Amino acid sequence: MLNIFNIQRFSTHDGEGIRTNVFFKGCPLNCPWCSNPESRSYKSDLLYDKRLCQQFGECVKASNGELHFEKDLLIINRELITDIERLRDICPAKALTIAGKRKTIDYIIEKIEKDLSFYSQSNGGVTLTGGEPFAQDWNLLDLVHELKAKEIDISVETSLYVPWERIEPYAGLIDCWLADLKHVDSDKFRKFTGGSAELVMSNFRRLNALNAHVIVRIPVIPGFNHTLPEMKQIIDFAATLSSVNEVNFIPYHALGEGKYKLMGLDYKYKNSSKPPPGEMEDIIEYTKSKKLQYKIGG
Amino acid sequence: MLQVQEKFKVSERIARLKEKVLCAKPSVCTERANFYTEVYQQHSSKPVIVKRALALEKTLNEMSIFIDDGELIVGNHSSQLRAAPIFPEYAVEWIIKELDEFDKRPGDAFFLTNRHKRDLREICNWWEGKTLIEKGYALMSDSVKEIHEAGIIRAEGNLTSGDAHIAVNFDKILQIGLEGYLIEIKEQRDILELSDDKNLKKEQFYKSLEIGLKAFQSFIRRFERLAAEMSNSIEDPVRKEELMIIASNCSHISQYSPTGFYQALQLVYFVQLILQIESNGHSVSLGRMDQYLYKFYREDMVLGNVTPEFAMELLENTWIKLLSINKIRSWSHTRYSAGGPLYQNVTIGGQTSDGRDAVNELSYLILQSVGNMKLTQPNLSVRFHKNMSDRFLQACIKVIEKGFGMPAFNNDEIVIPSLIDLGVEKEDAFNYSAIGCIEIAVPGKWGYRCTGMSFLNFMRVLLAAMNNGKDTMSGNTFFEGSGDFTEFRNFEDLMQAWRQQVIEYTKATIEIDTAIDTALEEYAQDILCSAFVDNCIQRGKTIKEGGSKYDFVSGLQVGIANLGNSLAAIKKLVFDEGRISKEELMRNLQSNFEEEGGEKIRQMLLNFAPKYGNDDDEVDHLLVEAYMDYINELKNHHTTRFGRGPIGCKYYPGTSSISANVPSGSVVPATPDGRKAGTPLAEGCSPTSGTDLLGPTAVFKSVSKLPTNKILGGVLLNQKLSPLAIKNDPDKEKLAMMIRTFFAELKGWHVQYNIVSREQLLAAKATPEKYRDLVVRVAGYSAFFTTLSPDAQDDIISRTEHSI
Repeated sequence: MLNIFNIQRFSTHDGEGIRTNVFFKGCPLNCPWCSNPESRSYKSDLLYDKRLCQQFGECVKASNGELHFEKDLLIINRELITDIERLRDICPAKALTIAGKRKTIDYIIEKIEKDLSFYSQSNGGVTLTGGEPFAQDWNLLDLVHELKAKEIDISVETSLYVPWERIEPYAGLIDCWLADLKHVDSDKFRKFTGGSAELVMSNFRRLNALNAHVIVRIPVIPGFNHTLPEMKQIIDFAATLSSVNEVNFIPYHALGEGKYKLMGLDYKYKNSSKPPPGEMEDIIEYTKSKKLQYKIGG
Repeated sequence: MLQVQEKFKVSERIARLKEKVLCAKPSVCTERANFYTEVYQQHSSKPVIVKRALALEKTLNEMSIFIDDGELIVGNHSSQLRAAPIFPEYAVEWIIKELDEFDKRPGDAFFLTNRHKRDLREICNWWEGKTLIEKGYALMSDSVKEIHEAGIIRAEGNLTSGDAHIAVNFDKILQIGLEGYLIEIKEQRDILELSDDKNLKKEQFYKSLEIGLKAFQSFIRRFERLAAEMSNSIEDPVRKEELMIIASNCSHISQYSPTGFYQALQLVYFVQLILQIESNGHSVSLGRMDQYLYKFYREDMVLGNVTPEFAMELLENTWIKLLSINKIRSWSHTRYSAGGPLYQNVTIGGQTSDGRDAVNELSYLILQSVGNMKLTQPNLSVRFHKNMSDRFLQACIKVIEKGFGMPAFNNDEIVIPSLIDLGVEKEDAFNYSAIGCIEIAVPGKWGYRCTGMSFLNFMRVLLAAMNNGKDTMSGNTFFEGSGDFTEFRNFEDLMQAWRQQVIEYTKATIEIDTAIDTALEEYAQDILCSAFVDNCIQRGKTIKEGGSKYDFVSGLQVGIANLGNSLAAIKKLVFDEGRISKEELMRNLQSNFEEEGGEKIRQMLLNFAPKYGNDDDEVDHLLVEAYMDYINELKNHHTTRFGRGPIGCKYYPGTSSISANVPSGSVVPATPDGRKAGTPLAEGCSPTSGTDLLGPTAVFKSVSKLPTNKILGGVLLNQKLSPLAIKNDPDKEKLAMMIRTFFAELKGWHVQYNIVSREQLLAAKATPEKYRDLVVRVAGYSAFFTTLSPDAQDDIISRTEHSI
């Protein structure tokens, strides 16, 4: 069983061709700009959309008192919820949904295979993403072996912020690594994401040593890494990796904001300033000067 | 790679002509109605077909003609730009009833002067009791008339206007010229043995053909004279020369086969125009224009007679001229055909008869010229096949990106084998073209209405099956049922009841179609249209009498997705899981979910049951099973031409129902898919608005599970994409890959794209005057968004927006 929160068909910006993204739940990092807030916890999350709520009360009935209405407002005491499964698929209006469910490998494969014909025409396949796929248990390896046996192209989107031991077994199995390089400055990396730039960079070097096909993905986050000097450092590092010849700049966006609201969370990154005009052009020029191909948006 | 697409700018002349046709306020013209009335009055004793030939002759000889400033392609439909002629012989009751409302319509308004209104009233009064619609109704049994009135089957458009949904044999017209046809007719007429009783009708047919064709020739010569006169009196030397050329073109093509691309295009336009003066049937289509015109284009290029730039200008001018042709429909019919276009289809691409890629330079020019104009006419269709080049597919996507819903794609990989299976000769099957919006036929060899026979409202039929045969809207039980839903023991009982009802209603559609076809055959013959379709002249028969080589027709079934979703919801929630009781469901369908707890039931139906369009076998297979009940019954029936000459004379299903899903939904109570009473049904074979949650590939998979090889009347699929979704080249390539997979692997039938943002749609609704140029695809065709009724606009807006 693997903990996933979405299987998204026709994903076109996460690897080559037409792909199905499998989103794994749980991530060791805690980036405040994350556009998938429901991906972060290893536990299931409760999402509540007030606009859809018709106060049928099914959720209140199913709960152990953690939910109740005050007039037309549904009050959710999230921290008191012990058995979130009681609330799954209970709301007829789908105002209340649960993100995250353990699914069998067979189930995931069946969903992936639905678009086989689209993969073969487009050199597409499956992209394992999340969350952090490598933070899953070893069932992930079974899934990857099975995909491999079925000759389905496998890309993985990863923060690389996991011990190398969790990555190494996959090295010969993954067709393309879409690996995040958020920053090379240790302090900044730790301050913003809670993780270690050293571990990420070390994993990059080790993948490089194995000659894996790696595309470096750089999220361009205002207030974190978007300045030219910082980007230069990041690109410089990417340029030291001989197996890397392409970088993808992933522009910052706030499309995740709505989901924070559904989870009862504040989205803290929304007031960030935009990068000054011309900066992206300079960054691209620099990338080119390092003989790296680039893409914006993946 | 795509330089061809960027090379030509729209000329100042074309921009001006375009602006003029877009600004022209739709009105009506009474000239044709006057001439037809006069001739019918004067020649009352003559056979109808001869009367019609004489009326056409008088119209073509006496109607006002004009040549607009700067026009290169000439020929006008009525006395004013965008004025719709009136065809009183088909129906007048609706005109009398709606005359004062034409300018008040929420969409597709027409503006009339008081003089027009007075004239029309007088004309219409004379026609009352003599029109086709009255004759058609008179041929129907009382019970089908009631079914028709109840709105379960709709065929009004088939009685208020001519048939059309046809493409004539342009290949042959260009090859032998109009004189060639007169020679053919004379040869046949000369050998006709009039002592044989069967030949009397043929003689009348030939006589009418001669009158009609000669009138056509003299109509073209009127333009020759007009152009020459204008040339003489004009100062501007450039325009003087242009008018001289127009005059000499007209002089030549009034008799002979054209020499050169310009003349060929002018003749094609004249034919297209004349067919729509003779009859007001819509979907008069141009067939495979890039094929039959290519020879002329190629030769002119070699000889240096034409440049690509000039060819573009001629094509663009032709599209503007197509848009200048207008039609007024009754309001009830207008709602089935929102946006008011005439669905004049141009088809490009596809394969040659020996299976090679048929795309040529002219295909690119046509594609780009239609893209430059962004008009609602012509309806541009591209025939996809697996060897289509990436270059051409990308050129198509560049035009799709412009966001006016064109081109639409048909798929050779499914259509050609299906046609061959039907008995169509291989060479003809490879030469098919789109007709109207998405339906298909072999141009010049196929009878009318490869789609467009009566509309059957599947959801009314399902509800009758659940109510022991009773139609709850009208209160009538048209066909005795097999019990109330509450008495059904299992899901199979429901399927059984559906099967029994749909068989009866299918028979009723055939009865209605037969009555209408019989009335049209006797009272509304098309003369020129028959002349230009094989093998009417050889057989001495109009198309309706069995003159065409092939004859296959389709009606339109509305509510496809709703049917599947309703069955799946009932199966899962009522029978499998028991979460909704039978009584609860029936009460809520009756109360429109307005009783206590009704909305909860509705949300369960919407959200707890699988929906078509999500690649879910459970619902997709139920839909196929239910649809096959209809399809299997249909196979038992023939058209009125059976045994009279054509190959086929059979029905097949079709879903190219244009915007019919909106008015069809307005007469359907609440349905088990959670749809509220009166709201639109799903369009064509597209998923119900907002229920396809897994993206376009899942939609493609669901659609491809339908028996697409049998639904030759069109498997309509509209997909909406936001403009951002195909902004970059890699995104365009992915769209192309997706289309290729859908067609080459999944054997999809048709797809077309709305590239438009929600904001644009909302803005256009609020301030339509600023968005006159904004075009949106509604169910199989392209219409100006701002002329759609608010209901149709809401339907588009609520459709799920896939973002790549």
